[in-house]
Amino acid sequence: MLTSRLARLTLSAFALTAVGAAHAAVPGHDYVSSPAHSTLTYTFTQAGAANHGVFKSFSVQFDPRAKTLEVVIDMRSFDTRDAQRNTLLGGAQFFDVARYPQARFTAAQLQKTPRGYIATGPLTLRGVTRTVSVPFTWRPLGGSGGELQGKTVIERLAFGIGQGEWHATEWLGNPVTVRFALRMVPATH
Amino acid sequence: MLRNTRARWGALSQLFHWLIAALIGVQIALGLIGTELPLSMTKLATLARHKSLGITLLALMLVRLMWRALNPTPALPDTLKPHERVLARITHTGLYVLVIALPLTGWIMSSARGFPVSWFNLFQLPNLVGRSAALYHAMVRTHVLLAIALGLILVLHIAAALKHHFVLKDDTLRRMLPGAGTALTRKE
Repeated sequence: MLTSRLARLTLSAFALTAVGAAHAAVPGHDYVSSPAHSTLTYTFTQAGAANHGVFKSFSVQFDPRAKTLEVVIDMRSFDTRDAQRNTLLGGAQFFDVARYPQARFTAAQLQKTPRGYIATGPLTLRGVTRTVSVPFTWRPLGGSGGELQGKTVIERLAFGIGQGEWHATEWLGNPVTVRFALRMVPATH
Repeated sequence: MLRNTRARWGALSQLFHWLIAALIGVQIALGLIGTELPLSMTKLATLARHKSLGITLLALMLVRLMWRALNPTPALPDTLKPHERVLARITHTGLYVLVIALPLTGWIMSSARGFPVSWFNLFQLPNLVGRSAALYHAMVRTHVLLAIALGLILVLHIAAALKHHFVLKDDTLRRMLPGAGTALTRKE
């Protein structure tokens, strides 16, 4: 009798600990992006016209129950479909991928909205960390994951993207729209 | 007088002529500078202005052609020999064709490169073709060849205008210039 009560107590304490740990994933509610079915793109204004680029390699972890979201981007995987421009963007004046090969966004707060969430937290890009808010929609697909979509606008200069003469914004706009459409699948623990 | 007569070009035709002439001069300069510059903000700005002015030229040429169709065209001087009339016709047609074809090939070139054209950062033009490296390179060659052709025809056009004015001393150049007087009425 005593042992079973003790066991229950231990269990509840364990459960409390689990809830208390903000970033602990909840089994069955922890999802990761499926690379083949997920896109991460950005649109920037070059000489007054909208130009586009992608990141080919990135990973997203999302747990709506534990309210965690983390995005890791391999900056070397960027592509703007122009060899000359890619060379420039990868260099020290822009992404500087040799020194900053990774960008990271972690949601410190995940606020529920009617159709999804607003993730707010630090974005580290080119070695600079700034707090950004990223609204997104979440559409669960039965027990097999869901679709996560959204966009946010960041200012390239806040992260030092565009050094020297590239600091000017008349021919290369400061706001960059980042869009993502992710197919999330259950994480394998 | 706004409209053309059989004897001289009207004010609007003159405006088109000299405005387009000035823009062509600026375009040749921007095109040459933009091509030579290394990848930089200055290059981006130079080529963006070249594209915006090119689109402006294209629009001006289309309006100019409409105005030409709605007006009498001043007759070529009577003193021209038959082969000179043919040469004048070819030169003038060539100028019209080239000043329309140059912006068009430029626009196709930008579209094929995947760099959409904006008109002075005010609005973005649609891409004329999809992204294609082969088409881009073909259009670069075509654009350059057409620009060289335009340069040669311009030399011919300007030389002929100066010959009419200073050697033959007729009205050909003066009737494209403001001022009501003609050589015939002034000289005698």
